[in-house]
Amino acid sequence: MSRQSRIALTLAKRWLATLPAARFGLASGPRRRAAFARGTRRAFEELGPAFVKLGQLISVRPDEFSDELVAEMRSMQDAVPPLPYERIAEVVRAEFGRDPDELWDAFEREPVASASVAQVHRARLREAYRPVWGAELAAGTDLAVKIVRPKAAEAIRADVGVARRLAERAVRWGLARRFDPVGLLDEFEASVDRELDLRQEGRFADRFAFDFRDDARIEVPRIVWPRSARRVLTMEYMTGWRLTEIDAAAAEGVDCYGLAVHGATAFMRQVFVYGRYHADLHPANLFVTPRNTIAYLDFGIVGYLTPEERMNITQVMAALVYRDADRALRYSAKLGVDVPAEKVDVIRAGLGALLDGTERPDGTRDFRHFGLGFLRLLGEHGIAIPSGYGLLIKSLATVEGVARALYPQIDIVATAQPFTTRVLAQAMGDPARLAERLPAAVRAALRELVV
Amino acid sequence: MTDDVMRFFAAWMLTHETADEGLKAAVERGEAGGAEGMSGGPDAFVDGLAAMVAEEKERLKAELEARARGELPPPDEKRDPVLDEIRFEVGELRGRLDNLESMLESILARLEARP
Ligand SMILES: Nc1ncnc2c1ncn2[C@@H]1O[C@H](COP(=O)(O)OP(=O)(O)OP(=O)(O)O)[C@@H](O)[C@H]1O
Repeated sequence: MSRQSRIALTLAKRWLATLPAARFGLASGPRRRAAFARGTRRAFEELGPAFVKLGQLISVRPDEFSDELVAEMRSMQDAVPPLPYERIAEVVRAEFGRDPDELWDAFEREPVASASVAQVHRARLREAYRPVWGAELAAGTDLAVKIVRPKAAEAIRADVGVARRLAERAVRWGLARRFDPVGLLDEFEASVDRELDLRQEGRFADRFAFDFRDDARIEVPRIVWPRSARRVLTMEYMTGWRLTEIDAAAAEGVDCYGLAVHGATAFMRQVFVYGRYHADLHPANLFVTPRNTIAYLDFGIVGYLTPEERMNITQVMAALVYRDADRALRYSAKLGVDVPAEKVDVIRAGLGALLDGTERPDGTRDFRHFGLGFLRLLGEHGIAIPSGYGLLIKSLATVEGVARALYPQIDIVATAQPFTTRVLAQAMGDPARLAERLPAAVRAALRELVV
Repeated sequence: MTDDVMRFFAAWMLTHETADEGLKAAVERGEAGGAEGMSGGPDAFVDGLAAMVAEEKERLKAELEARARGELPPPDEKRDPVLDEIRFEVGELRGRLDNLESMLESILARLEARP
């Protein structure tokens, strides 16, 4: 049976199975959509890596898909049965021409984690290594070796090809109204390509470690470059508590509130100061450590912002902090959110309502409500959302979710205030230009003080 | 970079401390502005900024006083960001070379394994 038929059949089978729950189409809208979403999610899990990744992409596009589908895709399990050691060793041999046991000490046969694209094995460092940044790794250091499954790249590319044909047909038949499936697939292909070369991930981890070199509370695994290749990434093994084990961490004296605020601030710093950010921050990619630090894992998806975008995003964030709908609209326009003149008033009103409605009962503000509400507002009015903008909002919403997992009462909008304010202050003018405007006497006094 | 501007504003504020009543009022409003107080759009932004500059001003004042008493280490003890950046790029280059070397080794290993 061709792959195309298998995909079509699997989807059909899963959708059919949902019919009773949807009362054969007679159930209420949300109920029907929920049943459909569940069937789709199960089919995606069954169909493998390309669909698992596609599901992850859908889960970050609440602007284009229904609430039910987004929620369902977010809960998609990316845990597949591990491949036997021999198959993984094949990949290692193809990359290095040598067996795992020649490259690492104590390479464990059972993986510590196994996802649709890669699996992670534990091992130990053979010889001391000086990483790109940070202290030397001693011989015998615990390592995590992430290895892409054999044929993962080929399987994904082939599936993307099939999906593209299906999508083009759907467009031709007028089945896709609310979104552009072919555009989505383009975006998807690009992101998968990036994720399949683990060296990119390693480079970003290095850069991240460097960006946060002055921050002792952020940890990043150091990369062992002589033992890394396109499909193999060797890095320091991180230990700690997952966010689901936060009670255990608190019992051991970890300062969860401090870490939640710190983590949120660190994310703001990535976005507003460096313009590159960890865009795949789900609870599984983060540890809280006994050293009272946050350890980041998995730099597979990274968002980049140009200095101009960074400034405009800061303006939008400041608009949120200071509840300024006009500012939010003006700078969203500069980010590519193109609101036609006749819709500006409705959008502004909707935005104002969202800005006022972000407060939760306990007085803290809810970014998620604002961010996703804004995306939906734009979607309802048929206004296209640039993909980077969607990714950023989703990332901020996730950071909020992660910070809340650490400390439920955190207000990340308040956390954003000092940052956005500072960055904007910078933009308002460099000291030289401002100095021109100040009277000479003040300037003389300043020179005394500042020099 | 951003710190320079904050410092600049702070210095300006320090020299205007007694003069500008409007500024003082802004600082007070900005300090009071918690989640509920920041609903005034652009004005609220200026207030918020003023409050932060005021904080920076206090730091600057303390630092200047400390320096006058000779207590502060010379400022050049801080790490030089440009030098750091260069160090990182050298490190990164070294990482790429390490990686390249291992790739060459694996090609060699494969050639040797051939009968
Ligand atoms: N450096 C590390 N130290 C300890 N554990 C690690 C490390 N890297 C990965 N892991 C473990 O492996 C799991 C999967 O790793 P990672 O998230 O990098 O893989 P992935 O295939 O990109 O998965 P996904 O994108 O679905 O999250 C992590 O959740 C963690 O349990």
